[in-house]
Amino acid sequence: MTPEIIQKIKTAGINTLKNLWIITPIFLAVIGLVGLFETFITPQMIHTLFNKNVIHDTLIGTTAGAISVGQPFLSYIIGGELLQEGISMYAITAFILSFVTLGVIQLPLEFSIFGARFTIVRNLLSIIFTILIAWTTTVTLHYLHGFFT
Amino acid sequence: MSQKKSTAKKSGIIMLSIVILLYIILCFYAPQKIFASLHANLKLLKMIAPILLIVFFLMALLNSFIDEKSIAKHLGKESGVKGWFIALLGGILSHGPGYIWYPMLEELRKKGALDGLIVAFLYARSIKLPWLPLMISYFGITFTLVLSFYVVLGAFLQGIIINTYPKR
Repeated sequence: MTPEIIQKIKTAGINTLKNLWIITPIFLAVIGLVGLFETFITPQMIHTLFNKNVIHDTLIGTTAGAISVGQPFLSYIIGGELLQEGISMYAITAFILSFVTLGVIQLPLEFSIFGARFTIVRNLLSIIFTILIAWTTTVTLHYLHGFFT
Repeated sequence: MSQKKSTAKKSGIIMLSIVILLYIILCFYAPQKIFASLHANLKLLKMIAPILLIVFFLMALLNSFIDEKSIAKHLGKESGVKGWFIALLGGILSHGPGYIWYPMLEELRKKGALDGLIVAFLYARSIKLPWLPLMISYFGITFTLVLSFYVVLGAFLQGIIINTYPKR
């Protein structure tokens, strides 16, 4: 490795550290909020939001997923329980999708890194597509089920 | 330090102060829950630390060896199908919470990567390969396959929509 390359790596490393240092406070704030949400928003609270009306539940599923935090498998477990309780597949799919693609508590971090315009457009598109995909997935499953039986 | 960076740091410090204050206030009402929250924070930090190291390594690599020209070639306007392939596959394979990838993605944007590809990457992240067996066990293989197909299609379409509207 030539001294030039070593210097290049050193400068790049310092610049990267500086950039990461700038976002450290907001990053820690988001982690702190994730901890609070994990403890204070329980799966039981999420269950009580659904009322078996398809449109209402799809919108609630999207919203609940967006404010929930945690590992993706949690959304499958909650979704599985909701399915057993007779909640529609539209709502469960919307919940599973928005759980991963939308994040209310990480919005400030997204704003500060990408800027307002990108963040707003991306999140609006995510909401629309989450609802669209929830509907198309459930309708496709319905047709596939009809086709194979 | 540029104005944008300085504002980002200031707003970050304000937000962190609010969160710390929230912890202090809630500690008086529900101390056990606050300890549980702190425990959850530590667990999360432990989980994301290795991924953060990878992101840091990739960012340093990006800053030292990959110039604007090659970013434009692989993820810019001239990237074509290859760009979509990289963004969608990268999203599916990326681990950890989405926000730890933000700094690297912004670095790519600054170097000329298309916004649409960044959006596609972020949406494709909803396919979690390690958790697919669990999803299959809960909802069946047909649901998992159909949902994964629509997620990739949705990520691609969102990217196309974003690319249609140029950056201001």
